[in-house]
Amino acid sequence: MGNFSLDPSITNGAFYYIISAVLVILVMVGINMMSKVSSSVKGNLLGAGAMLGAIVLTLWNFKIFTAKELYIAMLIGGLIGVVISRKTKMIQMPQMVALLNGFGGLASMIAGILTLILHNDNNVFANVTSGLAIFVGGLTFLGSAIAAGKLQRIIKQKPVVFKGHAIFTGICLAVAVVSTIMFAFPPFNVPGTAQTILILVDILASNLFGYFFAIRVGGADMPITISLLNSCSGVAGAIAGLAISDLLLVSIGAIVGASGLLLTQIMCNAMHRKLFDILLGKTSAACSVKPGEKQETKGAPVEPVESEKVEEVVSENPQDIAAEFINEAKNIIIVPGYGMALSQAQPLVKQLTQELEQEGKNIEFAIHPVAGRMPGHMNVLLAEVDIPYEKLHEMDEIDDKFKETDLAIVIGANDVINPAANTAECTPIYGMPVLSVNEAKHVLILNYDLQPGYAGVENPLYKEAQQSNEHVVLLLGDAKDSLTEIKKARSVSPEEKAAARANVQAGSDEDTLHSWFDEAKNIIIVPGYGMALSQAQPLVKQLTQEFEQNGKNVEFAIHPVAGRMPGHMNVLLAEVDIPYEKLHEMDEIDCKFKETDLAIVIGANDVINPAANTAEGTPIYGMPVLSVNEAKHVLILNYDLQPGYAGVDNPLYEEANKSNNHVILSLGDAKENIQKLFKYF
Amino acid sequence: MTLFQGILLIIFFVFAFVGYKIISKVPSLLHTPLMSGMNAFSGVTVLGCLSATALAVATSSKILGCIAIILAMINVVGGFGVTDRMLRMFHKKDSGKKEDK
Repeated sequence: MGNFSLDPSITNGAFYYIISAVLVILVMVGINMMSKVSSSVKGNLLGAGAMLGAIVLTLWNFKIFTAKELYIAMLIGGLIGVVISRKTKMIQMPQMVALLNGFGGLASMIAGILTLILHNDNNVFANVTSGLAIFVGGLTFLGSAIAAGKLQRIIKQKPVVFKGHAIFTGICLAVAVVSTIMFAFPPFNVPGTAQTILILVDILASNLFGYFFAIRVGGADMPITISLLNSCSGVAGAIAGLAISDLLLVSIGAIVGASGLLLTQIMCNAMHRKLFDILLGKTSAACSVKPGEKQETKGAPVEPVESEKVEEVVSENPQDIAAEFINEAKNIIIVPGYGMALSQAQPLVKQLTQELEQEGKNIEFAIHPVAGRMPGHMNVLLAEVDIPYEKLHEMDEIDDKFKETDLAIVIGANDVINPAANTAECTPIYGMPVLSVNEAKHVLILNYDLQPGYAGVENPLYKEAQQSNEHVVLLLGDAKDSLTEIKKARSVSPEEKAAARANVQAGSDEDTLHSWFDEAKNIIIVPGYGMALSQAQPLVKQLTQEFEQNGKNVEFAIHPVAGRMPGHMNVLLAEVDIPYEKLHEMDEIDCKFKETDLAIVIGANDVINPAANTAEGTPIYGMPVLSVNEAKHVLILNYDLQPGYAGVDNPLYEEANKSNNHVILSLGDAKENIQKLFKYF
Repeated sequence: MTLFQGILLIIFFVFAFVGYKIISKVPSLLHTPLMSGMNAFSGVTVLGCLSATALAVATSSKILGCIAIILAMINVVGGFGVTDRMLRMFHKKDSGKKEDK
């Protein structure tokens, strides 16, 4: 047994180290390339390539090319990885990163266990580092799993504090540390029953420690927690590397550990929190709070989603003032926060930005380092809707510009713009760097409610808005709804030339739909991926039933590539019991659009784009599409005006914007859109 | 502790320092992709799992090792995959904008 050692120095010597060094350098070059957007994709691929090289090198070095089980395991893991990376929605990114992190931690933990079991050469260093790998890997695993659960809302986002939480945490930590050290001493230093028991104790204690740590963290501290766990997973890998004397593991693990630590540090600075406080679960200020005041905010911060929706307090119509502010402004800075992410308002933000830019206004974005749930969260979300990254500015860069700005629009951010941070001593946010939105000429705040943010400190801007709307206007409610309201208010604003036309349309869309629904006899519904995304199938079913009860004939037209897999729409509609005789393939139903009174398109775009027949040279030219435009009337429910996957503008959208004689377009989430339709019966 | 283990320990601290320096250059714009990329690298522990599994004798160790390899590979492949997707989102405007102009 003792003749195989995991020490690579006895295997391929110099050549192995040279290649290892090259791979580590490649990894660092890759990371370096990730510091610029232009080279970042290649940097990531280079890193992935280096990783592949490292795997091959390891297989070669240990002469284990022939072990079949390794390939099978790698293949399974790789395939799952591919599926995960393809399926994850951008909004789910924080929990996915946390989950993957947990897997890495668990793998390091197992590596530590195996090293202990395999090593019988009684090497103190290897034994202790193996124990440490179990410890750090274990806490990373369960800590990350809990963080992912909280982000996915499987577990309550609020911090959970048990009775004697600190004591339990301390005990787990102590047990884990002691058991780690014990691996150095007999009888635990050689494989056997005693060692196995100690391994189990170490696993249990470290995982529990991770659990106690993560369960106490609230939503807004997530960026810090995730960064820290990320660091831990790297450290766990590096320690496992120390245990088995693997150069690559040690060096790459160290880099990951350092990066996570750096991010943690940046997040802590940005929130003006001490890492130690977060580790101890302190959610309030270090300096003592005056008795009787703000006691309720301690320990149990209020999450916007869970709190009750507060009715609007401002008497005047704030939307109109907001619209006025926007129309007057020349320079606008938008400050996004987690509220935008929650309401998935990014496409509307993009739309607003485009409109304002077309009107010749200058729009910039101010990104606070801890806005959202992970480092750089807002940047990712805004990039997803194609807002150019040159417009996204870090706090240091843009904070001075608020003074010269006509209007700051805050979308779902609270603590990070709270001016109280500069003045309110003895509050948790005192001293935290905030964006000085109040220095802008006008401030427009879209927020879910009047509750103080995570830190529990009231925002004086809210009060100001309630007293007068001269400087600050507050729009309460879901960010998406608020943006839609603003849009509406702007379109009816008398100063706008274009508004007159839009005005007529806005007023009559409802009447038109009423008469369409009344007159229609034959209706064809065209579902697309937007329906799937918004999970609107049950409502579609309801809508169908409603139509049929009114004596109308409803059919479904299914384009072969609607959705994300062959037959996707059929499956979804079948699930809500829409009879399959009503689901028609394109060839079968396309000729019927001519005789149809009303075609309702729900979240489909490219597959109904008439440009496919005419726009030569575009990706969709020649693609067979459903001829919905041949129907007498067309109602399109779509999330936004963006071209679909193929990137070709849909002329039907333009037509709808000009007049609603033939086409009506209703933007937004499919589910909400359909809900609105029921009133037209 | 052998000499080699001592060297490894030094390497650990050196690379932690070097990594810290490199990463501090990454702008906050790209922090999420950076984090998920680093996350993918943390799956490097697969190397340890590979050698340990191959050298394991007992079936139970082998099974445990295979599980670890699967997990680490999910970490690696999933991590690089989502990072790639995110970075391409930042990227597409680059090319898209130039076409517009």
